[in-house]
Amino acid sequence: MPAFNTHAMQPTASHDEQARQDFVGALRGHLSGRIMPGAYRVYGSKVEPAFKARHGRPPADHDEVRQLMTQEPFYQFWSAMQRRSQELLWESVIDPTERQLPELIARAKQLGDKAKKSARKTRRGTLLLDPKLEVPRYHTAADIHLQPGGYHTDFTTDDVAAGVIYDKGINLYMGGALGPENNLMGDTLLAYLREKHPDFKPRHILDMGCAIGNSTVVWARAFPKARAHGIDVGAPVLRYAHARAEALRVPVDFSQQNAEHTDFADGSFDLIVSHIMLHETSKSALPRILGECRRLLSPGGLMLHLEIPRGKTAIEKFMHNWESYNNNETFCRYMTVIDLHAEALKGGFPSESVTVDEFAPKLDVAQMNYTESFFWKILAARR
Amino acid sequence: MTEPPLFPKGHRPQVFDDPAVDQLYAAYVALATELAVAFDRIDTLERAVIEGGELSRERLEQLSLDALQDPARVAQRTQLAERLLRPFRMFREARIAEGKPLA
Repeated sequence: MPAFNTHAMQPTASHDEQARQDFVGALRGHLSGRIMPGAYRVYGSKVEPAFKARHGRPPADHDEVRQLMTQEPFYQFWSAMQRRSQELLWESVIDPTERQLPELIARAKQLGDKAKKSARKTRRGTLLLDPKLEVPRYHTAADIHLQPGGYHTDFTTDDVAAGVIYDKGINLYMGGALGPENNLMGDTLLAYLREKHPDFKPRHILDMGCAIGNSTVVWARAFPKARAHGIDVGAPVLRYAHARAEALRVPVDFSQQNAEHTDFADGSFDLIVSHIMLHETSKSALPRILGECRRLLSPGGLMLHLEIPRGKTAIEKFMHNWESYNNNETFCRYMTVIDLHAEALKGGFPSESVTVDEFAPKLDVAQMNYTESFFWKILAARR
Repeated sequence: MTEPPLFPKGHRPQVFDDPAVDQLYAAYVALATELAVAFDRIDTLERAVIEGGELSRERLEQLSLDALQDPARVAQRTQLAERLLRPFRMFREARIAEGKPLA
């Protein structure tokens, strides 16, 4: 598995903690690379032909595939293992984090204080939390992708644990594919911008649902003259994001806000981005967020949203939906059939300005989890 | 400080008809994980013994960090994952998954 860059805000794993993380990485790699493709084979050679013989047609959609595949012993075995590996993933990162949490909180405060002090001489990042912010129900109803407490729960004063855990956890989740600083999604969207709009030089960038700011930092580095903002509803991930960005010496302004209705003035940004955020919202929140993007963009401004793969065939859609039913990605099942182009129109963007593209990063099947043909969606619109 | 929850909030899926089978799978993976930890410890100790010199906890921790990307260790972990999942290949469906004849 490719290396994960440590920095001041990451805990040190003991021998045994490291061994657990390494094993969960190996197990997930094996499940994805060697076992998961077998579910497609079982479907193609057994389940689909048997269904066709009985009904004279293939299964109509991913829900019909679900009725059949969840009864298959091979799928059941993979599913049980996949669920356990996801729980194990978090457990392996939680242990070293909890052991060093007081020290990590102190380090975050030091980095924040240092940023405030040196802000007079040089540009540094900021952190603005809103303890009164109501965390939306799509975050509080279930812990998204099984991280206990999700992005938003403070278990102690000035907690940063959710961010520490998420940073290492998502790196393990994709077998290191996200890069040494979990930079792949930011890099991907940045490459898209440079290809489609080579002369676009944003001055005010907003990263919505930024979590630990792993992608925000990519944008801030790419456009050092721009002011980069990151917003999220989770306080502990934002405390971590601020400390992490300061540890990496990248100035970002983080604030705790809901992307459905922010406190920024109309036309504040010329570039708004998000990275795998939309599928963690809700049916009603999605058009509100896209409407907020339109309000916040200055004329000519651009919005770019990177979204997770949802598959093309019924079996691919079913396999991606494993996350919906087993990994607390509850909105994912709706995202499978949602027309992002139509959602952007609901947000007020003119049809001719909206595009939905696909982008396939170069990944090994051991890093793909649910598919052998991984592609991200990119929703783009210009005001 | 509030005690963090042991389990994530939300729906807990049941894959098999009997929930005890789901629990056994979880325990089976937990056991394999701890076996992986023990294998790594044995490997670390063997490396320390072969290298010679004084044995201390600090030195063993350092040795474990150095061995992180070691190809032999990566191979050992992969083999353990493969052995762990091997019993399930006895399934008829697993033979289909591997593209092997059913006989």
